[in-house]
Amino acid sequence: MAGLTRTAGAFTVTPHKISVCILLQLYAPSAQMSLPFPFSSVSQHNRLGLYLLSLTKSCDDIFEPKLEDLLNQLREVGEDMDAWLTDHLTNRFSSLTSPDDLLNFFNDMRGILGSVDSGAAQDDQIILDPSSNLGMFVRRCILAFNLLSFEGVCHLFTSIEVYCREAHSSSAQYDASNDNLESLIQHDQMDMEKYIMDKATEEIELQKNASGSVPFHLHTPEALFKVTEGLLVTRKEKSRTNMKKTEATPLACASSSTADDTLVDESLFLRTNYQIQGCLMEQADAIETHGSSLSSSSIESFLQKLQNLAPELHRVHFLRYLNKLHSDDYFAALDNLLRYFDYSAGTEGFDLVPPSAGCSMYGRYEIALLCLGMMHFRFGHPNLALEVLTEAVRVSQQLSNDTCLAYTLAAMSNLLSEMGIASTTSVLGSSYSPGTSTASSLSVQQRVYILLKESLRRADSLKLRRLVASNHLAMAKFELMHVQRPLLSFGPKASMRHKTCPVSVCKEIRLGAHLISDFSAESSTMTIDGSLSSAWLKDLQKPWGQPVFSQESGSRKSSTFFQFCDHLVSIPGSVSQIIGASYLLRATSWELYGSAPMARMNTLVYATLFGDSSSSSDAELAYLKLIQHLALYKGYKDAFAALKIAEEKFLTVSKSKVLLLKLQLLHEHALHRGNLKLAQRMCNELGGLASTTMGVDMELKVEASLREARTLLAAKQYSQAANVAHSLFCTCHKFNLQIEKASVLLLLAEIHKKSGNAVLGLPYALASISFCQSFNLDLLKASATLTLAELWLGLGSNHAKRALDLLHGAFPMILGHGGLELRARAYIFEANCYLSDPSFSVSTDSDTVLDSLRQASDELQALEYHELAAEALYLMAMVYDKLGRLEEREEAAALFKKHITALENPQHEEPNMA
Amino acid sequence: MVSKESCRNEIRAAIRQLSDRCLYSAAKWAGEQLVGIEQDSSNFTPSNTRFQRGSPSIRRRFSTNESISTPQPSVGFSQPPATPLPQEDDVIDGDLYLLAKSYFDCREYRRASHVLRDQMSKKSVFLRCYALYLAGEKRKEEEMVELEGPLGKSDAINRELVSLERELSALKRTGAIDSFGLYLYGVVLKEKGNESLARASLVESVNSYPWNWSAWSELQSLCTSIEILNSLNLNNHWMKEFFLGSAYQELRMHSESLAKYEYLQGIFSFSNYIQAQTAKAQYSLREFDQVEIMFEDLLRNDPYRVEDMDLYSNVLYAKEACAALSYLAHKVFLTDKYRPESCCIVGNYYSLKGQHEKAVMYFRRALKLNKKYLSAWTLMGHEYVEMKNTSAAIDAYRRAVDVNPCDYRAWYGLGQAYEMMGMPFYALHYFRKSIFFLPNDSRLWIAMAKCYQSEQLHMLEEAIKCYKRAVNCGDTEGIALNQLAKLHQKLGRNEEAAFYFEKDLERMDAEGLEGPNMFEALVFLATHLKTNKKFDEAEVYCTRLLDYSGPEKEKAKSLLRGIRMAQTGFPSMDMEHFPL
Repeated sequence: MAGLTRTAGAFTVTPHKISVCILLQLYAPSAQMSLPFPFSSVSQHNRLGLYLLSLTKSCDDIFEPKLEDLLNQLREVGEDMDAWLTDHLTNRFSSLTSPDDLLNFFNDMRGILGSVDSGAAQDDQIILDPSSNLGMFVRRCILAFNLLSFEGVCHLFTSIEVYCREAHSSSAQYDASNDNLESLIQHDQMDMEKYIMDKATEEIELQKNASGSVPFHLHTPEALFKVTEGLLVTRKEKSRTNMKKTEATPLACASSSTADDTLVDESLFLRTNYQIQGCLMEQADAIETHGSSLSSSSIESFLQKLQNLAPELHRVHFLRYLNKLHSDDYFAALDNLLRYFDYSAGTEGFDLVPPSAGCSMYGRYEIALLCLGMMHFRFGHPNLALEVLTEAVRVSQQLSNDTCLAYTLAAMSNLLSEMGIASTTSVLGSSYSPGTSTASSLSVQQRVYILLKESLRRADSLKLRRLVASNHLAMAKFELMHVQRPLLSFGPKASMRHKTCPVSVCKEIRLGAHLISDFSAESSTMTIDGSLSSAWLKDLQKPWGQPVFSQESGSRKSSTFFQFCDHLVSIPGSVSQIIGASYLLRATSWELYGSAPMARMNTLVYATLFGDSSSSSDAELAYLKLIQHLALYKGYKDAFAALKIAEEKFLTVSKSKVLLLKLQLLHEHALHRGNLKLAQRMCNELGGLASTTMGVDMELKVEASLREARTLLAAKQYSQAANVAHSLFCTCHKFNLQIEKASVLLLLAEIHKKSGNAVLGLPYALASISFCQSFNLDLLKASATLTLAELWLGLGSNHAKRALDLLHGAFPMILGHGGLELRARAYIFEANCYLSDPSFSVSTDSDTVLDSLRQASDELQALEYHELAAEALYLMAMVYDKLGRLEEREEAAALFKKHITALENPQHEEPNMA
Repeated sequence: MVSKESCRNEIRAAIRQLSDRCLYSAAKWAGEQLVGIEQDSSNFTPSNTRFQRGSPSIRRRFSTNESISTPQPSVGFSQPPATPLPQEDDVIDGDLYLLAKSYFDCREYRRASHVLRDQMSKKSVFLRCYALYLAGEKRKEEEMVELEGPLGKSDAINRELVSLERELSALKRTGAIDSFGLYLYGVVLKEKGNESLARASLVESVNSYPWNWSAWSELQSLCTSIEILNSLNLNNHWMKEFFLGSAYQELRMHSESLAKYEYLQGIFSFSNYIQAQTAKAQYSLREFDQVEIMFEDLLRNDPYRVEDMDLYSNVLYAKEACAALSYLAHKVFLTDKYRPESCCIVGNYYSLKGQHEKAVMYFRRALKLNKKYLSAWTLMGHEYVEMKNTSAAIDAYRRAVDVNPCDYRAWYGLGQAYEMMGMPFYALHYFRKSIFFLPNDSRLWIAMAKCYQSEQLHMLEEAIKCYKRAVNCGDTEGIALNQLAKLHQKLGRNEEAAFYFEKDLERMDAEGLEGPNMFEALVFLATHLKTNKKFDEAEVYCTRLLDYSGPEKEKAKSLLRGIRMAQTGFPSMDMEHFPL
């Protein structure tokens, strides 16, 4: 802690800065320097100036480029005069043979600065304005150098040697024939130093002999440099820029490039706090964005290095905790979290939270509790997490740290809502009661609601914008899933009054997304120097580097554009993450409300705009949503193709849901094609997923048994299917999963319909409809209405009229938003209704029936839903028969036969997807 | 049992060889052991007696002399194959070596190594490398100060390590390396972080030349678990016993270590080293009185000793002996004020006096002298706790833990600090850690139980479990039994409560204690027995209560009345009591 404040903002001279100074000398040669002016055109000169500007801007970056990188960049900038530039740079370095040379060098540097009163300068001389960006940089360098003690100068001198040597050795790696250099590689640092020293003394002797006329030339022949460089550069540059790409492959590259940066970089220069914090911030973002696909060991080695350099920088421990968290290493994560808070008392690194009075004395250990709670939550220890969070609430109340309290409450509500009521009641017995004292008697839902409200209120008054936004989103989620009033008298009778309110969901989401306008309005204090300045250089480099990797520019465009915008308006990643989450939530809510295009659009918006800045699990979710959409509306072929891509991209994400979706799709596919064995197997695998050791996931469990019931239904084992569905309904009721209840009821109705027991099915269908109404699940309601109509028809053909009316009421919804299967079912059912209606004559009105049947059979082809397709075709053939169109009848019949045989021999077409 | 005479001869030769190679601390250690061997009376020279004059241990020495003079039964310790003392190549040492050694003695390490640059004898090679190593270390220390950055940057490294490693490994490959070279190789490897190779090299070194204590102690620092220790393939030699003693001590196997030292005392009966080590082990077993006597004795024999005196000061601190502590601090300060131990002693003194700021200052100084001085970190943490500066305390404790993760005191301190801040659940983790390293200490279990018992957590079942463990570990302060009884009482389990009250009563009777706990137990037992209709036993407790004055007496009287009433009031039910 103490170390942090000591020399914050210090500016130290490093070899890289000296290179920049040398280049500056070239850019604006002083009057007494006898260098030739090498620039052939003004634009060339300006180009160098622009490059230097970006270099000085980025010199606050934590990683300084190595000499080699700098030379490469120079080559790109310098065009035809590159050799001259690089030559000069390397020669200048090699002429620094003693600390005295350094002293002289900085004395010379003064010459390129114009003094305030130097009006007498010649016209053709370029003079740096001391208060310009470049001039400022030079002045800072000179000042920093003058402040150095002799020891400091010596250290600088040695680091320059290392700096130059690295460039040689790395270029030498590619040249095995050169004995001299090869031996260099084998030897280690120590030896190299000696070697250089020897060379230096040799050179001094030489100079003595030749009375200074022999310039000391770098020991690497220039030609060699050039040959090897070409290969090396492209590879490196590529991997570095790849980091920004959206596609699946570069993830590995990105990690390797960080490894490059850190592992190879022997002299990682350590600078001011700001830079380090910024760098750490970047790393943290990287850990979150890439999840466990980022190799944890490369980060680990980077952190190790950083820790060696700055043992008092405790933030490293936090980063390590994050890293371990994402690689699911419980013990190491716990250990590092505790270590971080023990050292820093929570006061280092959380600069974003405004310091409240008195916190310095006690530290901010409540934040430790908050983090610990969230960690336990992530590792699937909800009870422990709740204990810890309760303590966090207590401590932050005690220390009146409202900020932390607001966050803790939000975390708690999140925990409770994710966990369901499965295990909480006993734990919560003695714990927190916000505001009211009756908390212990409340249901978990109500408690979640109260916690959210409290958190939101505090966050609002404290102006914690991001928390406010995410609380709004959580609220939206809550409103989406829960009816406000107690759910005691829930049922068909009372249902009309208790409804979820889509308007408020919408309002909450909109409020959540307001965040972005807040951030672009205020001048942001949130960006961290380091990341910004490094971004500067990267962006500036782009146009020059373009030809090298033009082949991949197309795919990168959108993301880089937004990254660029990011830097311009400086929206922190976390903000764009929340905004992204709001789009995801929007998509989900539309999915539930039953508007497929809206859901799809929102997901697409998310995937294109926020895919880069989001955490990998969110991005995965978006992809999965899109795939699901594909499966429902375009058929399986496309869906499986998309799934393959997603699999490659997200398989490394911890708790990946890709596998789940794959099983779901395969199951669905198998059911449609009538391959019940495969369906059963998929079902079992789903059940296996549901009983993981990572804590019980209720959703997964419900999904598994729902599918089991459907498989049984398809196998015509009605009573068993009904049993499963019944117990599932009980589970849903117990855990208050209202939306799932609606679909289970529908399934029950379906089972009774299939078993020919229409009377029994009716109440289920009606109950399902009323559930759907109260939760505004329009699409589900439409499909329940369809089932209801089917049930009516099942009661006898005299109900055909009523059934048709029902169907027509639901038609707009079904045709507008329903998936292929639902639509086809509706069409077929419509035809069925007409045909069974005694007042309907086929011969006069055949087109109404035939049209829908044709439509249905087309859509079912895409789904490979043999059973329904056969039915449609059968009806078609019958109609044709009635009409006497024999040829068409035969055609339909043949197709019918094909489907029937396919249904009967499901194994025949091999299931290549599994 | 090896003969004393052979030991003596071995050590004498070894000292010469060690100091010839400038391994001074090993030579010093060997010298201490040499004088620690009990002298033959025939060998007594005036100089020998002068050394022992005025020492009270002389009497002890002569008295033990008689008992030992009978040949001791050798206790399963076979005579090891005598390791032959290496022959010295003294003759060819040459003038350059002499010059280098004198440079070395004047601490001009680089110069020394330069003088020996072309010498090929093993001895010269060793001295050259050793001098180079030390030169690198010296430069490293200087750089550490020069390079100190805003965040405690300390990437200063010994720049000689790489070349030394290369040279020594080459020598080892060709076999042109002696045991001293192997020792240096081990040290270099250890510094470079290659622990397993370092161990192998050190083992080889001590097997071929066992008298180099520095090699043994480097090896010991690499044995961080008993498994590693047992896996070492060491030749039998009496030096191995020293090694094992100290290694056991570091691994908190105090009784094993004591046994080793007891055995060694058969030969080195007067070794200060062994006495200090024994005292250390006894200290860990909390035998403070014994430790104090040992240290007093040690200081009489060796009045200018600073090593291990911080431990002595801890004992004095625990016994709250202000005067003795200040005397010790004064003496040590006169001897050598810039030793971490000295600063630590002064810190202890101020702490005892309640001047915590000053204490912290001295602990800080100790840490400046040695950043990895474990006990100073922990003690500083204690001071900060006293000063109610919990975050500083936590920081200090954490540093102690990071220096040595097995330091249960620091873990315990961390737990305590968090508990003080009202975060008992968080503190539990730390208590658990400390208990992991010292599972047999009742104080730790009691601390953990209190945490569970705290009003915020109120996890009484867990607290009961912890107290039970504490009782099993032999709770000396008697907190656990009382608490167990009370907790059971609170949970309405009167039978269990009665059981523990009774036990607690027994304990208090045995120790002759009285107090509110005693009254409480008696009142509860009397009431409990009365409600269970065990009137006779209830009466016994009541009459015991009558011995005391105060409200308890009245309570007892009313209880007794109640008992009489119950016995007489319902004659129909208790007919057998009245054999009329």
